[in-house]
Amino acid sequence: MPSDLDKQIEQLKRCEPISETQVKELCIKAREILVEEGNVQYVDAPVTICGDIHGQFFDLLELFKVGRFCPDANYLFMGDFVDRGFYSVETFLLLLAFKVRYPDRITLIRGNHESRQITQVYGFYDECQRKYGSANVWRYCCEVFDYLALAAVVDGRVFCVHGGLSPNVETVDQIRAIDRKQEVPHDGAMCDLLWSDPDDIKGWGLSPRGAGFLFGSDIVKSFSHTNRIDLIARAHQLAMEGYKLMFDRMIVTVWSAPNYCYRCGNVASILELDENLQQEYKVFQHAPTDTRSIPAKRPPPQYFL
Amino acid sequence: MTTPAHQVTTTARGTSIDISPWTITSTTCPISNAPEISAIQKELNGLPLPEMPFGNNSLVIRNANSDWEYTFNIVEALRLVKMGPLDPGDGGVQVGYAKEWLKSRTDPNSANPLPTSFFAKQFDWTYTTTYVGHITSSTPPQFIPADPNNPSHQIPIEELSRPDPILFYTEIPLFEDELHDNGSASLIIRARVMPTSFFVLSRFSLRVDGVLFRLHDTRIYHSFVSSPPFIVRETSGWEAPYSSVKRFLPSPDLSPLTDPNFVHNVLTSLPKSTTQDPKRAGGTGWRGLGTKIEVLYLNTSDPPSHSELDSNTESPDATEGAKVIN
Repeated sequence: MPSDLDKQIEQLKRCEPISETQVKELCIKAREILVEEGNVQYVDAPVTICGDIHGQFFDLLELFKVGRFCPDANYLFMGDFVDRGFYSVETFLLLLAFKVRYPDRITLIRGNHESRQITQVYGFYDECQRKYGSANVWRYCCEVFDYLALAAVVDGRVFCVHGGLSPNVETVDQIRAIDRKQEVPHDGAMCDLLWSDPDDIKGWGLSPRGAGFLFGSDIVKSFSHTNRIDLIARAHQLAMEGYKLMFDRMIVTVWSAPNYCYRCGNVASILELDENLQQEYKVFQHAPTDTRSIPAKRPPPQYFL
Repeated sequence: MTTPAHQVTTTARGTSIDISPWTITSTTCPISNAPEISAIQKELNGLPLPEMPFGNNSLVIRNANSDWEYTFNIVEALRLVKMGPLDPGDGGVQVGYAKEWLKSRTDPNSANPLPTSFFAKQFDWTYTTTYVGHITSSTPPQFIPADPNNPSHQIPIEELSRPDPILFYTEIPLFEDELHDNGSASLIIRARVMPTSFFVLSRFSLRVDGVLFRLHDTRIYHSFVSSPPFIVRETSGWEAPYSSVKRFLPSPDLSPLTDPNFVHNVLTSLPKSTTQDPKRAGGTGWRGLGTKIEVLYLNTSDPPSHSELDSNTESPDATEGAKVIN
C-alpha cells in the first residue's frame, strides 16, 4: 500500500498542490534531513545535474521524461526552483517530496531565488498567497531554503554550485566553515557562491551594478587545480542552447528551464554524468503549450495608449 | 466607419499587415543564440548583452508612396546604452545595497576583503536607452518639431481610447534583463492598426529594487485621413524614487511593481515637476526626462514652412527646438 508521502508525490506529479498541513509536515521532515547535510554535499556518480527550473512545472515533467523519474535516476538540482513560472509551489514541493522520500537519490542545493527577499518580488510569495490564502506555505518553504546545501562535489571531481566562485573561497573546505542556516546575505562568500558569474576577463571583476563578482578563466583554473576538480557545473544564467561550456570546458552553465518565462524560445538541458564522469548533455524542449501549462492570460492589452 | 481594404499575413517568424500605402511588419523570434549574441556584441563594441536579447525581432513600418521606412530593433536600441564610465546625464545608478556591500569588503577588519587586484567592467548595466526607433530609408522626410498651436500635432488620446476595431495587433520584445534579480529592464514595442489610423508604443521600463523606477516611452501615430499625410512622434521620460511609487501599492503584495503599466499609471499621475524634472525626479540627472513632440510629413513637398510652425523658436537643430511640455 502506498504511503501518504507516495500519495502526495502522485498528487504533486499531477500538478495538484497538497494541503497546508501536509506542506508543514513535509517541510519539517525535509529540514530534519537537510540539517544533517553539510554545506558541501558529497555525491556519487552516476548523477544527472540540473540547472534553474523557476516554477515551470510542466517543463520539469519534460525534464524527468528525458532523464527518467526519481528514483530511477539520481539527481542534483542546482537551485532556483521557484519564482517567475506559474507553478513554483508544485515544483518545489515535488522536488522536496522526492528529497524526503529518496534522500540519497536527490540533492538540492540553494539558488539565489531560494530567499525570502527575492521570492517576495519575483512571484513565489504571491503564488503561495493566491493558492493557500495565506503566507504560511511560503514561510515553511523559506525555512527549508535556509537548510539547503550551498554546493556539491561529485566523486571528488565535479564541483557544483548555483552561481560561481568567490574571492574568499580558495578551497572547497572553506565553504564548510560558512554558517549557512540563514537568509542569503548581501555580502560574503555565501552570497558570491549563489550570485557570481564567469566572464571573459582575467582575474576577478567587479560588477558595474556595484555589488557582485565576475571571474575569469585563470580563477577557474586555479580553483580547479587547488581542489583537484575537473569541471565546475553551475546554473544561474540563461543559455539559448541549454548549456554553455567555457574556458576550455573547465566550467559549464546548465540551464533547465526551456522557453524561459514562457517567451524566450530557448531549449533546456540536463547534464548526465556516468560512473566514469563522462558528460552527456541531454537537450529538451518545453512542454506542449496547452491550457494547463500556462494559465489563461487576460485578453491581450490591445487598446494600449 | 468603413474598414479600408487590408491584408494580414502570418508566418513562422511573425505577422504583417498591408493597408495601402502602409505595410507594418512584426518579426518575433526566440532569443538570440550564442553566435548571434557574439555578432551583436561585436557590432556594439563589446557591450555585455541583456539576459534576454531578441536579436531577430523587429517592427518595420513602410510607406510605399514615399519609400519611407521606420524600424525598431535591438542593435540600434542598445547602441544608445552607455559604454565606459558613466557621466552626469547618463542617469547611472547602483543597486540598493552597493554601499553596504563595498563597505563589507573594504573595511580594514573585513573577513571578506576584495581581491588584491580586480577589474571593473564599466557600462550602464540598467540598459537605459532613449531609443525612439530609427529611419531606415534614405529618402528625405525627417521629423521636425511639432507646432504647439496645431491641435493635430499631438497624439489623439481620446480617439485612441475609442474601442475601434483592431485590424492588427502585435507585441515585440526587443530585450529584457532581470538585472541579476535587482529589478528589471525591458524594451517592448506594441503596435495596433485601426480602420482610420495606426499607433505604436515603444516602452523602455526600468525598476531597480529599492532605488528607482524609470520609463521612456515613444508613441507614433498616423491618421490615414491626414492630408497632407504626416506622422506624430511623442517621446517622454519619467523617473521616480522606488519608495514614492511603492506608496501607491493597494496591498503589501509587491507584484504590481513588476507591471510597467502600473508603474506608468503612477508616474503619470504624479506632478511632472517631480517625475520629469532632471533636478528632482529620481535624482539621477538623467537626460531622458521630459516630453517632446515631433512630426514628419511624408511627402517632402508638403511640410509647412518653419515660420508657420513656430516663428518664435527657430533652431538649427530640429531636436533642440522640439516642443517641450513641462
